[in-house]
Amino acid sequence: MNSTNITIADFSINLLSESPISLEEGYLPFINEDNRDADVTIYCSSGIPSTPFENTDKLVFEAKNESQRFYSIFRSGSQLRFIIYNQQLKDTIQQVALLDESYSAWKVYSDPDCDGTLSPLKYPLGPIIMHYLTVKSDAVIIHASCIFDGVKGRIFTGFSGAGKSTMSKLWAAAGNQIINDDRIIIRKRGAAYSAYNTPMYYNDIPKKTSLDAIYLISHSPENRMRKLTGATAVSRVLAFCIQNNYTGYFIQNQLVFLSELCAHIPVYELGFVPDTTIVDYITANER
Amino acid sequence: MKPKFVTRQVGNELILVPLSDNVAQMSELFTLNETGRFIWENINEKTTVEVMEGLMTEAFIIDRETAKKDIENFLKQLETAFQ
Repeated sequence: MNSTNITIADFSINLLSESPISLEEGYLPFINEDNRDADVTIYCSSGIPSTPFENTDKLVFEAKNESQRFYSIFRSGSQLRFIIYNQQLKDTIQQVALLDESYSAWKVYSDPDCDGTLSPLKYPLGPIIMHYLTVKSDAVIIHASCIFDGVKGRIFTGFSGAGKSTMSKLWAAAGNQIINDDRIIIRKRGAAYSAYNTPMYYNDIPKKTSLDAIYLISHSPENRMRKLTGATAVSRVLAFCIQNNYTGYFIQNQLVFLSELCAHIPVYELGFVPDTTIVDYITANER
Repeated sequence: MKPKFVTRQVGNELILVPLSDNVAQMSELFTLNETGRFIWENINEKTTVEVMEGLMTEAFIIDRETAKKDIENFLKQLETAFQ
């Protein structure tokens, strides 16, 4: 049995397979020899089942746009069944995955690659598995960039085009560390909150910072910021969390987590001019 | 009606996330202030506007006209969640 351990956001993941496992480049720095009990086990199996789902399965969620489906989720007895479609070959099944009711054991069926290896974390199943790491823990996964300035960790979130990547580049130009500029896992560890990068399509080492402020960003003719509190802060941050929102249970968990998070970590609405003045503006105006 | 929402109280406010076919409509979530939260907690399908006005004037220092406006605003917000 081939075994590979990876650690994402301090979650230990054990991949097991009879066939050799191949991981995309972005996962390679997250491989380690961590021998602690895995938080999540992924059993990788060769070959897509000829019957990918049962007649009794109930469709609960579909990620799709006008032209194609990305993945479908079925409730299959006590398990969830994920049908992942190939994004180049429309409606061709790329993978089938089963997740047990404790959200800790996956079985992933994939056809082998040309070299006989299995790629269980091929996009988009890898990010889906990352999302399900968070649903049973004090954690959320959020579309955001994150910067560590040597003292504080700050998250910048917003709609597509709001300037998340621009913001991280401006902070990096001022000598600060980019934790990640797209997808961040926030965890409560003890009384504190931490932000972690996640594997991307490019090679980057695992990174972590304390979380000290959250910014909801947009472009603006001038730099301006205001602090948000209470339900407004919680609901605005929730809107940028990554989720499969087909069950109220997930939403309820996120609301509980975020209401505690926003009671401890300041949340600001930030309009910014995309130049380096924003770095000094933020550090001078945080309260 | 209430099972069609996931709710969370934050301080005196309430967050409502509408569910449509059990899928949360994250783009349509909204927050209620203390008055809105009071209406939410005391409303049911048989409650009339007049009864709610009475409850509100007992709970808050407001007149019936202000209570009626608050109730109308609340109902408009709920309507938008199901449009």
